[in-house]
Amino acid sequence: MTVALRTRLDRGRRRGASLWWGTGVLSAVVLLCVLAPLLSPHGPNEIVAVPFSAPSAEYPFGTDALGRDVFVRVWVGGRLDLVIAAIVVGVSLAVGTVVGIVSGATPRRWLDALLMRFVDALVAFPFVILVLALIVVVGRTRSFWFLPPGAPAIVIASLLVNWSIYARLARAETMSLRGSDHVAAGRMLGYPQSRIVGRHLLPGVVRITASYAVADVVIVVIATASLAFLGTGVQAPTAEWGSIMYEGRAVLGTSWWITTFPGLVLAVTGLAVTLIADALLKVER
Amino acid sequence: MTTRALGDAPQTAGGAPRRPSGSGLRTAARWLRPLGRALAVAAFVVVVTFLLIRAVPGDAVTTIAGPRASPETKAELREQLHLDRTMPEQFSAYVQDLGRADLGRSLVQQGRPVTTIVGETLTITLYLVFASIVISLVVGVALGLLAATRHGWPDVTVRAGLTVLLAVPPFFLGLILILVAGLNLAWLPAGGWPGTWPDNLEYLVLPSLALAGYLIPLVARTTRQAANDALAQPWAEASETRGLSRARIMFRHVLPNSLLPVVTLVGYNAGAMIAGAVVVEAVFGIPGIGQELVTAVNARDYPVIQGIALVSALLVVAANLAADLLVAAVDPRTTRA
Repeated sequence: MTVALRTRLDRGRRRGASLWWGTGVLSAVVLLCVLAPLLSPHGPNEIVAVPFSAPSAEYPFGTDALGRDVFVRVWVGGRLDLVIAAIVVGVSLAVGTVVGIVSGATPRRWLDALLMRFVDALVAFPFVILVLALIVVVGRTRSFWFLPPGAPAIVIASLLVNWSIYARLARAETMSLRGSDHVAAGRMLGYPQSRIVGRHLLPGVVRITASYAVADVVIVVIATASLAFLGTGVQAPTAEWGSIMYEGRAVLGTSWWITTFPGLVLAVTGLAVTLIADALLKVER
Repeated sequence: MTTRALGDAPQTAGGAPRRPSGSGLRTAARWLRPLGRALAVAAFVVVVTFLLIRAVPGDAVTTIAGPRASPETKAELREQLHLDRTMPEQFSAYVQDLGRADLGRSLVQQGRPVTTIVGETLTITLYLVFASIVISLVVGVALGLLAATRHGWPDVTVRAGLTVLLAVPPFFLGLILILVAGLNLAWLPAGGWPGTWPDNLEYLVLPSLALAGYLIPLVARTTRQAANDALAQPWAEASETRGLSRARIMFRHVLPNSLLPVVTLVGYNAGAMIAGAVVVEAVFGIPGIGQELVTAVNARDYPVIQGIALVSALLVVAANLAADLLVAAVDPRTTRA
């Protein structure tokens, strides 16, 4: 039908644009986070002006309850959010893909069933609730290497839950690839299982899980910020998008800038990643 | 019911027969398979909550209660979690407690039963979740149908708006709503919970809108997709050729076909909605499981945390099962592996 055809053409034309916009905005955010120290002579925990100063040319995002520069805190905080997201998404992608392929390719039906019911159970828990329970177990205030107090617990707890979604995706893709001609051809040629998994299954599965990973970055960043916003994430005085918003919410009515600017940056980052992820998913389809 | 004329839409897109021609056994399997799967997942949920603290190396009681906990607290926790016994004994005791609907007692709230605490707070959370599901269905389906039928700028505007809404985390949307509608315009209370009906309704509006910000884009996108798919079917063209009005085609044929994916979408997103509610409650100061959870985390009240995790996960398993059964009931072609 003409309508369907037109939609498809539309999609093809707009895919490039949304990919460009998404990548451009995301690069700008990442660049600002990386270059944060060059943006201002002040540090994120340095008291620079009168508390609760409204946004001005000198302090574009205003100052917070202690007189710290919110602009600097937002970009320095963004680093931590992005680093946490990179670790969580990277490790989940690797672990989940491997578990999913094992589950989908194993000739042992019981192993597949066992792994997948476990995955189903992990996915069934509301993400934030299970992560909170794990954070208590891991130890909320612990710091590790370059990660400030509170961050390691978030990373570990999120990892323990997050790999399961990748495993589910990888298993589904493995199952559908198993029936495809090139895998059957590999079998008939007598290739060993390891070669079939590595050369015939893995590339196709990774395409799927890696495109999901892009969208997952937003999910993890939002979860990290949410935990801090609940007062159970990264500990003060470390700057992080959620923790800045948490500190500012009591004075939302009078000093709106403390919560609004980190929230806006978070939303813009989310939008950029969503645009990229949507474009990638359309390519996959 | 009007008699079905030639070319009218069948109940499911694609024109499959209503009843499968399989044996009774296959029909039974269609119902029993999701049921069995849900039971297995529920069992694993119980195992996961059991393992939560026991998988940690070292003394579980010190891990939970913290190094500065009083000996009384530690002793109480050890007894409650049966930590003085072997692992299999611990598990069997845990399951037996669950069988009696005994989730243990709070370590801080004068030993109140966790079941009572979870029951009271979960009710409030479910009001919030339910209200935002209703809002999301009404707004999301309307937007989705609008985008599917009006090509050109309405479609583009709606889709762009949905993409933006999808990127805004519910707690930030909640803060904006408080700032604009609660404080500056003072239309609605900016937070709190009176605890009596119908006063609660007024306090439910902004939080459920904030939470609906997550679900509306998903519902609208699914509706738009389903409606476009339905409109691309031969019977849609046939109806148009027969001179049926646009409204009749939309509401009698396209809408019913779009509802199944939308309703199942809501079922499969129950977990995300509960997780979102946890955070939204913190923004608006609503005393649901979210607030209870944060209090429990700060007080290291482990039995309460464990209880909330278990009950919310079982609720999600039930919602997913409901969606699976709905699919099995409506569409006999879907036989899920």
